[in-house]
Amino acid sequence: MTGLYRIAERNIRIVSLHAAVHDYCRDYRAQGEPDFTVETGEAEIARERALAAREDLRAGREPRPYGDAYLEQLAVYRAIAERMPQFDTLLVHGSALAVDGEGYLFTAPSGTGKSTHARLWRELLGERAVTLNDDKPLLRVGAEGVTVYGTPYDGKHRLSRNAAAPLKALCLLERGAENRIEQVTPGEIYTLLLQQVYRPADPAALAAALRLLDGLLSSVRLYRLRCTPEPAAAQLAYAVMKGRET
Amino acid sequence: MKLNERFIVHTAGGESILVPVGGAGFSGVVKGNETFGAVLEALREDCTEADIVRALCARFDAPEDVIARDVRRALDGLRGIGAIDG
Repeated sequence: MTGLYRIAERNIRIVSLHAAVHDYCRDYRAQGEPDFTVETGEAEIARERALAAREDLRAGREPRPYGDAYLEQLAVYRAIAERMPQFDTLLVHGSALAVDGEGYLFTAPSGTGKSTHARLWRELLGERAVTLNDDKPLLRVGAEGVTVYGTPYDGKHRLSRNAAAPLKALCLLERGAENRIEQVTPGEIYTLLLQQVYRPADPAALAAALRLLDGLLSSVRLYRLRCTPEPAAAQLAYAVMKGRET
Repeated sequence: MKLNERFIVHTAGGESILVPVGGAGFSGVVKGNETFGAVLEALREDCTEADIVRALCARFDAPEDVIARDVRRALDGLRGIGAIDG
């Protein structure tokens, strides 16, 4: 099956075995000439199965029996993430929200509570807060700043929107016994953040991604939030990251 | 010997960082001081351990045996994560 989708301002032609791959991207259907094509098949599905099993084993779990369509969908996004650095765009593992049209990104290792914290922002801010992507947003790093994009590949809660916002702040999330937020320098969070950036398998694309990460870190305000999974955490984080308190 | 092409050397905040490409067996990153950075720089081209020690002796004001020990330690670490060919 073949379809054309516009994701992070690029036209991407997807050629896949499974129709579900296309249904997943339906909100991003587009017309026009592709900027690039990604093609997936049995080999890419087998590779995703092996990678997922390795991750499960590393986490001390039995490998889960994922279906082929789901694995192909992972392969498609991996192929997109491989190509995107050449378009100044980076995939970061995190939950991205837009509040009053300004973007905020929370990043942390899986299981820390990014989605929970993003939900607390939505509960605090109501319709003013929109989740662009709850798991793997794309970020374009340009001379004019950083733009965060919704994508179809949005995690287990399926929260995303085909929209974009200028990124105002990035926050590294940690669990804590109390809520505390501080502004940090790029050097303080560089290594931790690097672990949450998609690393292409192609060395040239990886070098480009690392340059984009430097651009990202020097373009937006950076925070570290230690927090509880309670509304007060969102109140504090929003007040500080928006710039009311510094 | 030479740095494996599946590893990229990047400098951020004055530190040298060795980053493996996605899907490489080793998934962490290695950060190091100026000496470590100089070793990585030397490994961009095919070289011997003696070449690296010579290059570092010309660059740093330290006894050769100290530099040789630091170079050996860095190379052992890099070999341990599969970052060196040859």
